[in-house]
Amino acid sequence: MAGTFAGTFKYRAPATRTELLDLIAEHEAVRILAGGTDLLVDIRNGVRHPEVVVDLKHVDGLRAVTWDPAAGLVIGAAATINDVLRSRDVREHYPLLAACAHDLASYQIRNRATVVGNVVNASPCSDMAPGLLCLQARAVISSTRGEREVAFREFFTGVKRTVLEHDEVLERIVVPATSAGARGGYRKLKRIKGHDLGIVGVAVLKHGNDLRLGVSSAAPTPVLIDGLPVDAPADDAVAALHAAISPISDVRCSAEYRAFMAETYARRLLEEVA
Amino acid sequence: MRVSLTVNGRAYEREVAEHHTLLSLLRDELGLTGTKEGCAAGECGACTVFLNGQTVNSCMVLAVEAEGASVLTIEGEATGGELSPIQQALARHQAVQCGFCTGGMVMSIRELLERNPSPTVDDIKDGIEGNFCRCTGYQQIIEAVLDVSGQLTPETKGELKHV
Repeated sequence: MAGTFAGTFKYRAPATRTELLDLIAEHEAVRILAGGTDLLVDIRNGVRHPEVVVDLKHVDGLRAVTWDPAAGLVIGAAATINDVLRSRDVREHYPLLAACAHDLASYQIRNRATVVGNVVNASPCSDMAPGLLCLQARAVISSTRGEREVAFREFFTGVKRTVLEHDEVLERIVVPATSAGARGGYRKLKRIKGHDLGIVGVAVLKHGNDLRLGVSSAAPTPVLIDGLPVDAPADDAVAALHAAISPISDVRCSAEYRAFMAETYARRLLEEVA
Repeated sequence: MRVSLTVNGRAYEREVAEHHTLLSLLRDELGLTGTKEGCAAGECGACTVFLNGQTVNSCMVLAVEAEGASVLTIEGEATGGELSPIQQALARHQAVQCGFCTGGMVMSIRELLERNPSPTVDDIKDGIEGNFCRCTGYQQIIEAVLDVSGQLTPETKGELKHV
């Protein structure tokens, strides 16, 4: 039959935050379902074998994308990539985030995939991570044990690995207001738009006195390069970039090509946001 | 698990397995086989349908997630035995060969035109980026979209000059 899975699982759709946190604390083999664009493919491919799939889309308020000049931008766990792209606040105050979002997969995927899912999946080629890293965004993580905040630079621990414990949910992302208005851009190299994982992705952000770069698909985790002055020569930024990445050769391209293109995109973006 | 939904304006209620997709509900339970399974991984777009007004890959939505939803598939496109303007434009421009991608393609074109009634060639390429066509080629499809959105002139019609 079309669209069926090898594995079976129970589906739960809690209506409240308390129910959601209780459910994921109760079960060991549990996965949280938001857009499903990574999880359902992983289950179909036998990469994940959850006994219980907990759909968080029925919990009130989790789909919100809100902006406040003091608190900054808050992206709920159920907010889709297109929710973020449709937000005037995002387009106005965080164009870098909009650029990352626009480069993620295809239109119908963006209708379903979530920003939080993209980072929780912790793929080295996450499109949202380079922008969120540059913008000094934080993950607000909840469980029955309480709430904690983790900066994204501490969030990724390896390929598809994060600091999240099995009973925790990344409830919302907070992008500081201080990052609003900063100039930046994102470039992703891929073979075909909309149909392929990135070969390499580079974000550049000039913010106050700082120059920051975020890179995807060039190390086991998305990488942040910071500590550069805003007027750093491109050669210095590129040297810091090469020191921070550790690209591999795979089916998409060689390590050398990845490093070369990461540098090329970084130089182009540095000129564009100069 | 019991699921109630409307598909192309008609109400259905079915018992579905919790791990089955919306695509399998449409095809195997409701017999609506115009929606195709291509890659089953969200790459090809052959399974594209509208779910509550937004296009989605139905191979990546659980049937139980469609509880209470309104779904539109390619079977709802023609009315009264007459092809829709999008379908007629695709036929007029030879933009259908094997037809496997066409159902999903029509859904993405409909969505694009609802959002942007006069899309440029680049807008069209963006709008159908999630739909693979492996035989006709995209030029005829792009031309059909330009035609149905009233952007072809007698000079450009049929010549693919604008692509």
